[in-house]
Amino acid sequence: MNQQRREFLKKAGLGALAGLGAAAGIIPTFALEKTDPSGFPSKPVPGKVRWGMLIDTGNCREGCSACVAACHFTHNVPDFSGTKNEIKWIWKSPYEKAFPTSSLQFPSHDLEEREVLTLCNHCAEPPCTKACPTEATFKRWDGIVSMDYHRCIGCRFCMAACPYGSRSFNWQDPRPGIAEYSKTYPTRERGVVEKCNFCSERLVKGQEPACVEACPGKAITFGDLNDPSSRIRVMLGENETVQRKPELGTLPSVFYII
Amino acid sequence: MKTKLLLTIIGALAVVLLVTVTAFRPDGGAEPVPPAKAAPVDSTVCIASKEYMKAHHMQILDKWRHEAVRDGDRIHVTPDGRQFEKSLNTCLGCHSKNRMFCFLCHQYANVKPTCWNCHLSPKELSQ
Repeated sequence: MNQQRREFLKKAGLGALAGLGAAAGIIPTFALEKTDPSGFPSKPVPGKVRWGMLIDTGNCREGCSACVAACHFTHNVPDFSGTKNEIKWIWKSPYEKAFPTSSLQFPSHDLEEREVLTLCNHCAEPPCTKACPTEATFKRWDGIVSMDYHRCIGCRFCMAACPYGSRSFNWQDPRPGIAEYSKTYPTRERGVVEKCNFCSERLVKGQEPACVEACPGKAITFGDLNDPSSRIRVMLGENETVQRKPELGTLPSVFYII
Repeated sequence: MKTKLLLTIIGALAVVLLVTVTAFRPDGGAEPVPPAKAAPVDSTVCIASKEYMKAHHMQILDKWRHEAVRDGDRIHVTPDGRQFEKSLNTCLGCHSKNRMFCFLCHQYANVKPTCWNCHLSPKELSQ
């Protein structure tokens, strides 16, 4: 290569760089244009919030089912007697059923008789959403595992995938099983799966879930697991807690104080 | 020796360029997006003209459902700037005053939407 040409290329390159720098200084919008957020729809940021629940099983009163009644009324969950057609969003299980993989050798009498509140765990790695062929069930931006009943085809793959038995299937029209309609939430129809929705319809109104509000013993704490200053995170930091079947790697958002 | 000097000059220039770009960046790039306001509703007039709603209400409801349920985008802004919550209840807020509002037209057009299999219809709501 010609020496002169080489010199010229060097100088031209430097000049271009300097020119770019000067241009960036003189015309502020040149390099990084400011984003106007008003043009975007008001969508929430996925993953910013992760709703979670902490249940203090010691404070959960024996024989009390105020939370179950409140939830099932709020969401028009039918009551068919017997387990065959049972629909449930939140219910009480014996300790050994709720935590079958925990150490059950010689448990204390208290633990043996304790009833544990169980509901959808709203897993961070939900197996049900992966099983759903129609994306009727999906993980929302705020960690809630939600159901779109319009899309559910009733294949029940999600029920098989859920390790917690949190899902119920409507074998029959649920409406005859509803004593009184709650006018704030729709019912379901025959042939769809349903489950707890962490009261997402109440959360948008700024209310706490119905079970949290109904609990007379204040045994349920609800909050944002991603916010280190939230009450639930403070309580999680101060207490020893367990999750249901943690070995499955589903990362439940429901925690228990035993 | 000469290459070393040249490299230093280029490096210094790159630093200057970076500093200028950062300094003149219009107020620090992305700003925090204000949180979505909860369910503002201006329901004195419908979101669109009667003719448009007659022909397209089902598409609007379908779109609303997708956006509200899947994306959490719950606020509909009409071309003239009014805001509505994307919910069937927004519609029923006005239209359930006439109990037969949905039914008369659907019956006339002989369409059988499955909305009321789950959603409480104006008939049930007014009970």
